Amino acid sequence: MGRYVIRRLLQAVLTLFFVLFLLHYLLSLAIQVNGNPARTFFGDKPATPEQIAAVEAKFGTDDPCLDRLGDPCLGMFQQRMADWMTLDFGTNFDGYAVTDEIVRAVPPTLILFAISTSVWVLFGVTTGVLAAMKRGRFFDYLVRAGTTFTVAVPTFLLLVITQQLVGVSLGNWARDTFGRESVLGIVFQPSYDDRYPFLSLLVPGILLGAFGIAGITRLSRTSMLENLRADFVRTAKAKGLTSRRVTIVHTLRNSLIPVITLVGFTLADALGGTVITEGIYSIPGMGGLAYNATRENDLPVVIAIVAILSVCFMVVTLLIDLLYAVLDPRIRYE
Amino acid sequence: MTVELDRQGSHNGYVEGLPGYRDDAPLLEVEDLQVEFHTRDGVARAVNGVDFSLRAGETLAVVGESGSGKSVTAQAIMGILEEPPARVAGGEIRFRGVDLLKLSAERRRRIRANHVAMVFQDALSALNPVWTVGFQLGELFRKHRGMSRKDARRRAVELLDMVRIPAAAQRVDEYPHQFSGGMRQRVMIAMALALDPEVLIADEPTTALDVTVQAQIMRLLSDIQAERHMGLILITHDLGVVADVADDITVMYAGRAVEQANVRDTFASPAHPYTKALLRSIPRLDVKGQRLEVIAGLPPVLTDIPPGCAFAPRCGYAQDVCRTERPPLSTVTAGRSAACHFASEVMTDDVN
Repeated sequence: MGRYVIRRLLQAVLTLFFVLFLLHYLLSLAIQVNGNPARTFFGDKPATPEQIAAVEAKFGTDDPCLDRLGDPCLGMFQQRMADWMTLDFGTNFDGYAVTDEIVRAVPPTLILFAISTSVWVLFGVTTGVLAAMKRGRFFDYLVRAGTTFTVAVPTFLLLVITQQLVGVSLGNWARDTFGRESVLGIVFQPSYDDRYPFLSLLVPGILLGAFGIAGITRLSRTSMLENLRADFVRTAKAKGLTSRRVTIVHTLRNSLIPVITLVGFTLADALGGTVITEGIYSIPGMGGLAYNATRENDLPVVIAIVAILSVCFMVVTLLIDLLYAVLDPRIRYE
Repeated sequence: MTVELDRQGSHNGYVEGLPGYRDDAPLLEVEDLQVEFHTRDGVARAVNGVDFSLRAGETLAVVGESGSGKSVTAQAIMGILEEPPARVAGGEIRFRGVDLLKLSAERRRRIRANHVAMVFQDALSALNPVWTVGFQLGELFRKHRGMSRKDARRRAVELLDMVRIPAAAQRVDEYPHQFSGGMRQRVMIAMALALDPEVLIADEPTTALDVTVQAQIMRLLSDIQAERHMGLILITHDLGVVADVADDITVMYAGRAVEQANVRDTFASPAHPYTKALLRSIPRLDVKGQRLEVIAGLPPVLTDIPPGCAFAPRCGYAQDVCRTERPPLSTVTAGRSAACHFASEVMTDDVN
């Protein structure tokens, strides 16, 4: 196990390095092809070469390598890595430190993800497993119909409708009945409230969780069904174990292995989903930050966020691989 | 290596208190067992009235081709049929007089592994890949005997030792996939023997193994059986193995027992055409360069078993009566029975 962890960690570091370099190279290439973004800073106004040079220097795009098409700009890469090591992500076009912007945007997104992951794991896996146990009965059909429904309805539609129904209609009733500052009043708000980050993120978090839950529920069900038919489950029954133990000890753990992988992928997928969710619920998180920065061509912010997201993705993949090894001993010894 | 009988306290001590228990009753009796599977294509009658009995220390071979109902019979005895789709439609399975089919699910569960245990074929898939061998063995002691993890582990090592797995103390913490095929099957056997059952059902225990390992596993099984004076039901289609280790034989075809007798008698002069055909289809070393004998045709579809004798369409002895009237399993000579209208002709007819 120890060797597996070390090997996997080294792989992750190496991959991260390549990803960051690729990111840097693509951005350098974009500047080399499209011209220096410092120019857009002046809009239609004429600018002297000195002024442009000053802006280029300010945003760190003054390296002459950016004028040579195809140059990997290794010097810049080195500089950028050194800066990032000290958590310095430069300044955005409005002159604020990108690091501060990100630090502000991380908590709401993190809470959002914590809520939706819990929804996947607690709700998705549990209903999937129960549906498998009650195969062919009413509950099973209900779960299957429900998952098909959530897949069929686009996430943004679900978000908008729920915002109206829960945030406005139910919310108005809750605020009228229990008062504006009551727990229900805050939970059923149509938008984010930075005084109560957790409570006001509950509904959008659950909704983001609903995005992707169908796959996890279905996979849990299928995986469970497959394992319930497995020979080793029959052996476990033949050993005279209680059906509870047969299910939990001899079926569930084996069934969770593929589900874990899907949770990881869904988490990565949901990174895109947050942009929509955060947009609709006006949550000042990473998704919103990325959306605005891309629209305004705010290069330093875009680079920083993409880099951070790739790190997140890598960490999630790493955690999943490690969890995988914990659940399935066959992987450790390969 | 000798194995010490480990009968702690008052024996395995569960079945004794159950209704119908008699110390002098036969170890295991199966009477008119019927199992059907409810499928989309109709009701498949996998077992249609099988009878046999097993004494302590006896080895009963159950032989037949795939789909003849051997494994289903075994699973019905264990009580591990998947219900639904399976359903035990009738009959009795008596263990020392206790009708297992009438017991509650909880009582049935406690009989398993304690009194009646089973060895499955293909140990790789029959052992759980995510738990160590020690855990899977120790679990039996922890859950049935209330032992601590530490004691259970110690017992697991003893068991591995008993089935002659080298370096048992180290291997106990390994996972099934780290064992070779033969060693895995030994683990399987150790697991079945853990609680010292009186009846062991081995369902094609050597099918997935190569020939030399097969012999070792069969030797191990019959040694342990002799030492413990267990009743062994050996399900197989390897007639060579049957000749080697079994006392009695039950030949099954389309969910029925078609011949029951002492192994030696059956091999010398089979009383049912199917048994005869089976014996003829064994590859022989002294007949070279010829096609292997096969039984022409296929067994009947279990959702639609024809009236009369199920083997009639494939049988060289078949007459009109065979296609209309099902022959009951009846005594041919003392201690031998066959389900064939022409059993005595088949027996005396010296075609092979």
